[in-house]
Amino acid sequence: MTPLRLLSRITEPRVYVSLAALSLLLIVPWLIDSSFAVHIFVTICVFGALSTAWNIVGGYAGQLSLGHTIFYGLGGYTTALLIKHYELTPWLGMWAGALLSVLVALGIGFPSFRLRGPFFSLATIAFLEVIRLLAIHFHGFTGGSAGLIVPLKIGWAWMIFQDKFNYLIIAFGLLVLTLYVAWAIRTSRLGYYLTAVREREDAASAAGIDTTRVKLVAVAISAALTSFIGSFHAMYLTFLEPASMFSLASAIEIAMFALIGGLGTVAGPLLGTLFVVPIAEAARGWLGASANGLHGLVYGTVLVLITLTLPGGLVGTFGKRIAAFVDRLPGARRPDDREAPALRQVTGTSGETVLETRNLVMKFGGLTATDNVSIDLRRGEILGIIGPNGAGKTTVFNQISGFLKPTSGTVAVLGPAGTMVSPRLPDEFARLGIGRTFQIVQPFGKLSVIENIMIGAFMHHHDVEDARQSALRVAHLVGLHRLKDVEARNLPIGDLKRLEVARTLATEPSILLLDEVMAGQNQSDTNRMVEIIRAIRDTGVTVVAIEHNMQAIMSLSDRIVVIDSGKVIAQGDPHVVVRDRKVIEAYLGEDFVHAQGL
Amino acid sequence: MDVTVQLILNGIMLGAMYAIIAVGLTLIFGIVRVVNFAHGEFLMIGMYAVYLLTTRLGFHPYATAVPVVILLFALGALVQRFIIQPLLNADEHIQIFATVGLSTALINGALMAFGADLYAVEAPIARQTVPLGPLNILVGHMVIFVAALGLVAGLHLFMQKTALGRAIRATAQNRYAAQLMGVKVETIYVISFGLGAACVGLASALIMPLYPATPTIGTYFVLTAFVVVVLGGMRSMYGAFFGAMIIGIVDSLSGYYIAPDLKEVVYFAIFILILIFKPTGLFGFGRGTE
Repeated sequence: MTPLRLLSRITEPRVYVSLAALSLLLIVPWLIDSSFAVHIFVTICVFGALSTAWNIVGGYAGQLSLGHTIFYGLGGYTTALLIKHYELTPWLGMWAGALLSVLVALGIGFPSFRLRGPFFSLATIAFLEVIRLLAIHFHGFTGGSAGLIVPLKIGWAWMIFQDKFNYLIIAFGLLVLTLYVAWAIRTSRLGYYLTAVREREDAASAAGIDTTRVKLVAVAISAALTSFIGSFHAMYLTFLEPASMFSLASAIEIAMFALIGGLGTVAGPLLGTLFVVPIAEAARGWLGASANGLHGLVYGTVLVLITLTLPGGLVGTFGKRIAAFVDRLPGARRPDDREAPALRQVTGTSGETVLETRNLVMKFGGLTATDNVSIDLRRGEILGIIGPNGAGKTTVFNQISGFLKPTSGTVAVLGPAGTMVSPRLPDEFARLGIGRTFQIVQPFGKLSVIENIMIGAFMHHHDVEDARQSALRVAHLVGLHRLKDVEARNLPIGDLKRLEVARTLATEPSILLLDEVMAGQNQSDTNRMVEIIRAIRDTGVTVVAIEHNMQAIMSLSDRIVVIDSGKVIAQGDPHVVVRDRKVIEAYLGEDFVHAQGL
Repeated sequence: MDVTVQLILNGIMLGAMYAIIAVGLTLIFGIVRVVNFAHGEFLMIGMYAVYLLTTRLGFHPYATAVPVVILLFALGALVQRFIIQPLLNADEHIQIFATVGLSTALINGALMAFGADLYAVEAPIARQTVPLGPLNILVGHMVIFVAALGLVAGLHLFMQKTALGRAIRATAQNRYAAQLMGVKVETIYVISFGLGAACVGLASALIMPLYPATPTIGTYFVLTAFVVVVLGGMRSMYGAFFGAMIIGIVDSLSGYYIAPDLKEVVYFAIFILILIFKPTGLFGFGRGTE
């Protein structure tokens, strides 16, 4: 959404209330008119902006960086050094700093994003330490521990002023820019994708998301913004030293403000900053300069208390109530949800081969989970896969959706050009039209039902409103439309199974892989699922279903493949297959076969 | 040649110091499955406690090991009981932030209480050198080395031979299964966290004669201890011990042959490479052991 479109929504209560509240950051210090007040508000704007930028990676994407001052320091140093050596104005120098920061961010992010949780955080700390130590070591270039003084040239061109209020104008401008970018991401496809990646990386790839790429985009944007703020702050401080520019303590503060305010929300980081910075400054005022370390003690204590009492942060805890209050104010309303027209028909020659596997072998150590599995899938059919527990059915699914790379053998999919292609990664399979569900449901727990489905819909609908309409249509088809605003983690298993199907269906697949979507369901839910699968097939989608519910799978399938101990032991017409001696043996044992005299 | 051998010996001694800290960190991560970002601050508290006991009550620094180990055990147990335990089922980022917040509060609390000055204790014996053939070795280092060996051996016996040790190992393997077998998991966690903290209590009494206490001393040591833990495979006490030796030697050699101010760069680079390319640690102790 462009700034212009945002401006056209100014009559909406949420928009005008936010803008009015934000403008207080300029109005209040202007009214107080003291240089100390201006200093506090510059600090709030700078840390609010840093925290908001951090939140794009740390909150939206859930990658808890504790090394974000790398980009702040790079911005500051690049800008200052360009002024010193080339007399380049900081307005241009900050772009050079941002470019360098983006490159470094990609260089750090690419290898580190595979680390999970605390180990990602530790790696970012290690990178920060390395960069700080290098900045000290190469003192001829950076000034080392002795520091670097920004050449004092006064005026707008040099971003250094005698009237401190000018600093506040720039700091406020940077804050608004950062908030706008954060808001634009939050309300776009990228924002939803980042949340999906944070909540469940596997389900995100199954919905066609290139998880590494979206995280890299997020860290690049975040690093560029952080670097801009660092450039400005260096001009404000006019003195740079590695200990303060590449500070671990500041990197932690940036992250903690976001958590205190509400991780992953647009307003949270700024609110967290507004909440703790004044407390710390006020406490320092009461106790005097002797209270060295007091602000850190306050920050740390508040952070521990927040984790113990309000893990959602201020916004997560009070946000809904405040939003409800704001929504009662006069102003325009957003239009009601519209539903997209019917699903487009999948076209293609009925009966042609859309997916084939050749001699799939998958070994886990000594166990051969699939042994020479070759299956052809024909357009428009419903293929049932049955077999005893542990036979390797799900392993086959994992190989034909890219989640497992076969030890040997090939998987080929009919590509858009009409030739067979062999994709590699799960998201590539998904974008070729192979949608899969997971046997153990994988909802994005903190997203609502409709948002879960939208994650799938984004594959073909880049605009949020389009995706929402399309998701609503799918929700209707599977019977989840009444629950659309419920958080997925609050759903019972039957609804979760339908949500699993809905999210996959929203990617508009041409082949749908269903892994035990009827397991653990009652009779009426099962009947409903059978209806849904038939309706899906009628739109031209080819369906492969793993199922233990024999009655359902027999009535649904055009063809059945039986897998036992990793091998295909029978395939063909459902009624012929169930009378096959090998199949009965696999399910009921040899003794039973002998006893029946088969 | 003699220089290199001396450097390696110094490195092993330095490694023993990291080993004591890293073993504590490994216990906490391996059993409670929480990365304790405040571990260094436990060390810092221990060092100030050693300082106070030595200067105010006239203890010999090494003799403070007993009260300080008990104090740190209690501190660790309290932190587990009142901060970590309520968050055991919380999101991972909440657990990270809880110990990060604790670390920030403790560093700055110490800054308020003691200021940024260095506090050192008098222990001339620790600084005496003992000749070992052509090599020299500090008494203080030797004490640490022996203590590190003793600690690992003692913990090994405790884990293998006692009922409590078995319960701790069972809990580390599978918290739910252990619970079903009647193990009081929450108590085990409190004890384990206490043990992990007690290790740094021991470390602080041994380190204090050689290094002065400052509010940020913990950060200095514990970042290295994290490198060691990752190198050792994160959950293995033995891995941590050998990892510490390697980092000690790397520290000592790179400080001499590359540049003293770049030695940390060298082992942080090793850390990053191990994390990224061999996350189960150098010795494959990573998964399934302990």
